[in-house]
Amino acid sequence: MIAFPCQLRGWRLLLGALLLLWLPPVTAQTTDSLPKLNLDQPLRPDFTGSWEKDFTRSDSWDTELDRLIRIRQEAYDRMRRGNAGDIGLNQGPALIGSSRGGANLVDLARLAEYITRQTTMTIAQTRFEVRIEREGDAALICGIEDGVITSFSSEHGTEICGWDRQQLIFQVRLPDELLITYRFTLSSDRQSLNLLVSVSSHGGDPFNLRQAYTRYTAPADEFNCTQTLSRGRVCSQVSPL
Amino acid sequence: MLSVVVLLLAGCAQAPKRPPREVLTPTPPVALETATNEVPAYAQMEVGVVVFDSAVQGRLSEELGEWLYTEITRKETQYLPYLVRNTLVESNQWGPVRVLPESDPSMDLLVFGTVLRSDGEVLELEMKAIDSTGTEWLNKRYMEVASTDDYPDTTRFTPGRRFDANNFVDPMQDIYDQIANDLVVVRDSLSAQRLQEIHQIAELVYANDLAPESFADTLGRDAGGTLIITGQLAANDPMLGRVEEIRRRHYLFIDTVDEYYRALFDEMQPAYVLWRRYALEQVETESRLRVFNADDYADSNSYLSLIQRYDRYKWSKIYEQEFTELASGFNNEIAPAILELNQQVHGLSGTMDSQYRQWRGILREMFRLETGLQSPN
Repeated sequence: MIAFPCQLRGWRLLLGALLLLWLPPVTAQTTDSLPKLNLDQPLRPDFTGSWEKDFTRSDSWDTELDRLIRIRQEAYDRMRRGNAGDIGLNQGPALIGSSRGGANLVDLARLAEYITRQTTMTIAQTRFEVRIEREGDAALICGIEDGVITSFSSEHGTEICGWDRQQLIFQVRLPDELLITYRFTLSSDRQSLNLLVSVSSHGGDPFNLRQAYTRYTAPADEFNCTQTLSRGRVCSQVSPL
Repeated sequence: MLSVVVLLLAGCAQAPKRPPREVLTPTPPVALETATNEVPAYAQMEVGVVVFDSAVQGRLSEELGEWLYTEITRKETQYLPYLVRNTLVESNQWGPVRVLPESDPSMDLLVFGTVLRSDGEVLELEMKAIDSTGTEWLNKRYMEVASTDDYPDTTRFTPGRRFDANNFVDPMQDIYDQIANDLVVVRDSLSAQRLQEIHQIAELVYANDLAPESFADTLGRDAGGTLIITGQLAANDPMLGRVEEIRRRHYLFIDTVDEYYRALFDEMQPAYVLWRRYALEQVETESRLRVFNADDYADSNSYLSLIQRYDRYKWSKIYEQEFTELASGFNNEIAPAILELNQQVHGLSGTMDSQYRQWRGILREMFRLETGLQSPN
């Protein structure tokens, strides 16, 4: 005689347990579909801080210009060797000139040097915007959201900005097709900042200048200041701890 | 559902074309029509100037920071009505004139305004005035243009030379004088009987607001949609007496509200005048910078030309950013006054608009308690 009821109950329990282990957990669809917030990997790198130029790791504009001219010279020589006779090119302008009638390489290099003379930068970043203060120049301000943002527009130029993954990019378009691009990159340890300035004219080859910055600790603010209209900047002393 | 769609489409097909917008000219110099003799009682209307609306989007010279200018225009909508109010009081043509946070049924005449444009140089307003019967007295646009002459050196006040509000004439005063004069023209075209009716209807409108179930039979609408008296209560009707009592308390409240708007105005005026001056200078500077010719750069690809182009862009941007800083400064300076306005009334909470509505709700409840009427809920 088979002890059927007890055995059957035991198999039922085992089967039920197996089923429970096999079925996926029943959770709300919306909870699973939500991206998990990873505080160790923020959406945007945080550029906040005071930065000073590291001259040893930054390009020198004249060295970079020489390098580019040398590259063009070598390319020119290869092209000349490949031709049977003298192709009648005037070497000088061909090395530094723009193929599209824009500014020549030397002037672009000098412009790049002119606009990167700042030795320090202060960057303030919130959940809404990044603000890059540069001594003697207008601040670069961009939002955090995706997409292209027009950060400034006037008859004298238009500036747009946006994010390319972890890089912050500003592009300034000036009259007569003069284009300046700033590309900010933060190192993984957040102690170094790389700024690539690219200057081009009439869509020709750009002149690129790479500037390296190192984080430094600026002296703490002794004052808490608020901008007003009729009294200018009004400051009160920060109470010592 | 299909009938709704058909009706909508039919409406679209029959929508009348909007008349072309009139071309505005600046308001010419105007002398305010002041009453030299006492105005008859029936002509002394209770006037409410409602906080303005704004159609101004804020300066969009850059997308970031736009909210600063939106904040400024929001503050402006609470400042400008007080100028209209002061002008009406100065004309001596009206009864009590008060600034109100929203429309009020107890008023004989309500004045509404919308700021269409305000950039320091030009102020453009759309003004409407409606009496208690719903009849429109005014529906007109006004515009005025300021110049730097309107901002004498005394407006550049310093701690040693304070802003002299008593001797300052608002550059846009002609607009407010013209509005006041236009209202007087309309009032003087009405008969004494008509003005008396407006008073009576205002009283009944307020009564209906307190207890619609008790006074619903007193007011109706004529063929044109304006309110008319359809039923009278006896002069010694106790209900009417209680309405009058509540109305007096309400007047005390809105007198206090008007005082708070005066305090805001006094607090805001120095900074606002300075702001308008800076905004005017910004407009004038932008006009000057706009006049440039790329041909002036001669060889436009030389190093000097490149530097010039960059510098023009840089300085126009710096100027823009500094102006934004001023806007931020203006908001910072006025924020405490706005906060104070919104915290003034003891026992009520929220913004001034919210407190005002709470107060009217309290009065309705008081009326029900005193008269024993049931709440509609």
